[in-house]
Amino acid sequence: MLDFSYTRARSADEARASVAAQQGTALLAGGTTLLDLAKCGVERPDSVIDISHLDGLSGIAVDGSGASIGALAKMSAVADHADIRDAFPAIALSLSLAASQQLRNMATIGGNLLQRTRCPYFRDPATFPDCNKRNPGSGCAAIGGVTRNHAVLGTSSHCIATYHGDLAVALAAFDAVVQTDRRDIAIDAFFLTPDDRPDRETVLEKAEMITGITIPASIAARQSTYLKVRDRQSYEFAAASAAIGLDLEDDGVTIRDLRVALGGIATKPWRARSIEAGLIGRAITPEIVTSASRLAVEGAVSQGGNHYKIELAPRVVARAILTVAASLNPDLNPALGETA
Amino acid sequence: MTIMEPRKHGSSADGAVGGRLSRFEGRLKITGEAVYALEYPAENLAHAVLIQSTIAAGRVTAVAVDEALAAPGVLMVLTPDEDLGLMVSADWQGNRPEEKPYHPLPREVQFNGQSIVAVIAESREQAEEAARLVRITYEEQQGVASLDDPKAGEGKLLEQLSVAWGDAQAALARSPVRIEGTYRTPREYHCAMEPHGLTAAWQGDQLTIWEPSQWSHGMARMYAEWFSLPVENVRIISPFIGGGFGSKGQPLAFGAVAVAAACRLGRPVRLAVTRPQNFTSYGGRAATRQTIALGATEDGILQAIVHRGASETSVYADVPEQTGAATPILYKVENFSSESRVVPVNTVSPGALRGPGKNPSAFGIECAMEELAYALGMDPLELRLKNYADRDYQSGKPWSTRMLREALTQGAEAFGWARRSAAPRSMRRGGKLIGWGIGCGTFPVIRAPSEAMIRILANGRVQVVSGSIDMGQGTYTILAQTASEALGVPVEQVDVVLGDSRLPGAAIAGGSMLAGSITGAVHKAALAARDELIGLALGEAGSPFRNTGANTLAISEGRISAREDGPSLPLSQLMAAIGREEIEVRRNTLSDDAQSVEDQNKAWTTMSRVQGPTMGDYSMHSWCAHFAEVEVDEDFGTVRVSRMVSAFDCGRLYNPKLVESQWRGGIIMGIGQALLEEGVVDPRNGRTMNANLGDYLVPTNADIPDLQVISVGVPDLNASALGGKGVGEVGIVGVAPAIANAVFHATGKRVRDLPITLEKLI
Amino acid sequence: MTRTIRLSLDINERRYELDVEPRVTLLDALRDHAGLTGTKKGCDQGQCGACTCHIDGQRVLSCLTLAAQAEGRRITTIEGIATANGDLHPVQLAFMEHDAFQCGYCTPGQIMSAVACIREGRTGSDDEIREYMSGNLCRCGAYNSIVAAVREAAEMADA
Repeated sequence: MLDFSYTRARSADEARASVAAQQGTALLAGGTTLLDLAKCGVERPDSVIDISHLDGLSGIAVDGSGASIGALAKMSAVADHADIRDAFPAIALSLSLAASQQLRNMATIGGNLLQRTRCPYFRDPATFPDCNKRNPGSGCAAIGGVTRNHAVLGTSSHCIATYHGDLAVALAAFDAVVQTDRRDIAIDAFFLTPDDRPDRETVLEKAEMITGITIPASIAARQSTYLKVRDRQSYEFAAASAAIGLDLEDDGVTIRDLRVALGGIATKPWRARSIEAGLIGRAITPEIVTSASRLAVEGAVSQGGNHYKIELAPRVVARAILTVAASLNPDLNPALGETA
Repeated sequence: MTIMEPRKHGSSADGAVGGRLSRFEGRLKITGEAVYALEYPAENLAHAVLIQSTIAAGRVTAVAVDEALAAPGVLMVLTPDEDLGLMVSADWQGNRPEEKPYHPLPREVQFNGQSIVAVIAESREQAEEAARLVRITYEEQQGVASLDDPKAGEGKLLEQLSVAWGDAQAALARSPVRIEGTYRTPREYHCAMEPHGLTAAWQGDQLTIWEPSQWSHGMARMYAEWFSLPVENVRIISPFIGGGFGSKGQPLAFGAVAVAAACRLGRPVRLAVTRPQNFTSYGGRAATRQTIALGATEDGILQAIVHRGASETSVYADVPEQTGAATPILYKVENFSSESRVVPVNTVSPGALRGPGKNPSAFGIECAMEELAYALGMDPLELRLKNYADRDYQSGKPWSTRMLREALTQGAEAFGWARRSAAPRSMRRGGKLIGWGIGCGTFPVIRAPSEAMIRILANGRVQVVSGSIDMGQGTYTILAQTASEALGVPVEQVDVVLGDSRLPGAAIAGGSMLAGSITGAVHKAALAARDELIGLALGEAGSPFRNTGANTLAISEGRISAREDGPSLPLSQLMAAIGREEIEVRRNTLSDDAQSVEDQNKAWTTMSRVQGPTMGDYSMHSWCAHFAEVEVDEDFGTVRVSRMVSAFDCGRLYNPKLVESQWRGGIIMGIGQALLEEGVVDPRNGRTMNANLGDYLVPTNADIPDLQVISVGVPDLNASALGGKGVGEVGIVGVAPAIANAVFHATGKRVRDLPITLEKLI
Repeated sequence: MTRTIRLSLDINERRYELDVEPRVTLLDALRDHAGLTGTKKGCDQGQCGACTCHIDGQRVLSCLTLAAQAEGRRITTIEGIATANGDLHPVQLAFMEHDAFQCGYCTPGQIMSAVACIREGRTGSDDEIREYMSGNLCRCGAYNSIVAAVREAAEMADA
């Protein structure tokens, strides 16, 4: 790591002021992204402002209207929070299936949203100076390279890096709102696709600081799951993942509400509204779910090495929907069991 | 058969050879007190970091160092412009080219990730920062990225690896049932949890190196040759090694750099190789491909095996990964042909990684045998038993011991193989496809000489002293047990000192050759020490046993007596009575005509006295049979190993508790090889794109089911003094084909290239 | 010029005054500055778990924690879990009994992780132990024995 100064912020306002006042100032919370990337040579802060000790930003509250989580709450605290597990199982699961318990004890919710891509070209500046994320206009070394873990959705000719986080996928499914010191931002609007500015990953402005997130309560969120498929059983990012919430009409078969978001396959957490629209109001069967799930990868672009994601992602979505459906209506089990 | 039941240690039998004594040095490891190479304190220490090349091939034309030299704390920058004055060392056999200089920081770039520059500073952080300020200019040439690179070509035939008997092509053509397949394994890495690195310190012309080493004497010799020093001036200290798996048997370029820097600076230098740099600072297992054709009669009698193998090597050394190593000896076959090629690519020279040769070789032949079984409509277990090799058809020699039949039948029994449903895709559980497969493995008995010293101290304690290595395989423990049994002292009364090239020489901790070798030497030395002690007790003035008329004495439980039930004396009291501070006995297992100082030095520092498996009257090998069950989620293509039973013939087990751990460790590495592990390079510049433990995936705890291991071995006194055969290497051999075969049984899809990742099954 | 700062760290209930650069990680501070080398460096990038120690009783990776961040917190390392008179922690004893290690390099991290895993109540089944111990890689492959050791130590803690 390059030399930097370290300051422990006494307040959020002071931290923001420091960032605003001085170029090259980075906020340090859990450290799991910043220090990792500093070791790779990607992040080169001159000064680090430690906000991890600040009080009042790590609360977790759940009531009838939804959940409110402070930006400095740890991943593990949210994953293990009984009310979150009840009201938002997909969110709890997305956290507990991420990283390892040690990292979940360190990383904060705000930092988790801002984690950066695992693209190996992005992470190796010494060998690959061309990276539009690191160095706008320099090109994209990943295109034409080893692309097994790169995105098939939301890519551009400037960047194909996957957003690898899990939590944000679940948040996208349930219309979470990111709160900053200045405004509330819908999660879907918070993240940006690369287009011609891959260096801009979120709409956050300079010195704007995430203070927390809120997630509105819904029956779909209460009846939800997060399914993560990967090579290794644990401690790995997703090859493809899906956050699903489902509500059925009183007949037990007609879909009243459905939320679908995908991870591991796109340049940002990927809400799949076309699947939702295609299935809401219809009677659930494995066939229509499987068929509609293919909409998940509409417009997908393969780089070669990642082609399997286009095949895999719809299957993950379908399995997740059918699993939740079977848990809601055990009578559906025999019909769904063959595929679920 | 012995199915080893877990048993609490503590019974008196645990301390003897064959007992389940807990790890002797364990307390140091579970308390954090065991000190590894980079943890030794040193005064006035400087820190070196490496800068590696970012191109596959070419030439360094300029290195701009001024900015780095001006950075805080920087002491020195070494570049290809500096002649470090080193000479090439001898190879493992002891052959040394004359007067050939060695440049550990070369001007010619031979692979991406080659160390080019080193920066030395007061702190590691300062050295790292300054390293980012060094600017290297290259004249880039086109490189060959991998074995699959179209530019790689077919490579060169290695005639010395060609094996043939009978007329394989003709017999194959005549065979009514034939199968042929091409099997591939990718580049694989050791990933020992302790990264490489060293601390080097000079005192005048004396050099001390703290470095993890699988072979302290061999490494001391190679360092001495690089720096033109007498070998006795170099000391390697390595009592604890955080895993090696074949990667820590010789000094590497970064070691030369650190030692040279320490010399120039006149102060100790520590060089820690970063985890990503570990992937290209030494070679893992080379990528391989092999085509195997089998011919058989309709009732499943093998008629011919034709094997054509190739492995990648570097552009500067021909290092074959012998895909034909297991092919000739697993089955009875009258017609055999094998040829092997190496294909130079721009990579660091491949190295030895657990089960070298035998491992990818078994992947080929053991997959091919199951393909043949399915082609015949025969149970793969039956096919293997039907073609059981009654002798070694390659050497023509009888087996010393070969309990592979027992491994197959008893493994099958424990696994429940008889309940197998024969057809692929016919077994399911909870929505998953279930598959069963078998893979056999083998590894040769490699014998080497060793030396050991036994000291009996005035306080009655016994010291075992050896330069040999314990990297987790259990040397400390089994040597304590060996000395305890031979001398008749409780194991608690024994101390073991290892891991220092100043101590008596020993075989390398590699090729599964150390345990058999060093227990032989310790046993011999301990018996000699016992005889010497008894002789002194009978003859020395002051000894209560003098003039008792006894011809000999017994030592048991640390007490010496004339008769088993007679009065006895603790060793400390005897030592006091005969007025001795210490009895020291040193013995080696070299032959009588090789006892000169030169012969001994060469024996401990080279492989020149190492004997292969067929150099005596017998063909000697360890054997195993793995039975794997997989669950496949067909929608996702994900494979999980849900159950394994593995039966081993490794001869006598010196400590079954530790042996079981080593077997399981090999099996787990095999599961990683089957499902996860693959070094991936960018085809454009040969850069290793997953040079870290988050992207090069090794198994986690969650990937591993309970692994049942069974010993079917019998003591083999041809193989070693105490009857053991090798344990560490064989565990991995045959695991990957067992899993690939199980995946075929589950899915009907034959994956012939490892690892079996999800995209190959969806 | 490189700046150093003076840190006062509470490690294993002892106070350590260290002069380190702000960028020095807790892992390097422990190993290179405090002389506590029991905590191991396996990857230095959050991918192996060898550097696991406890901060305020929670298991964390010291390679991705700045030493400065840990000031004012209670740090526990492998050197700090036996009792003052040298009695080993039950998890250490279970690791010994079950041969839950070979080379020993990942072992301090495994043990620190296991102590926390038991405290977190994540030992309800072997599968749960496996998952919650998966942040600690062991290349020697002691996983079966690690699970057995954690299970036994958890049962003893319950008893």
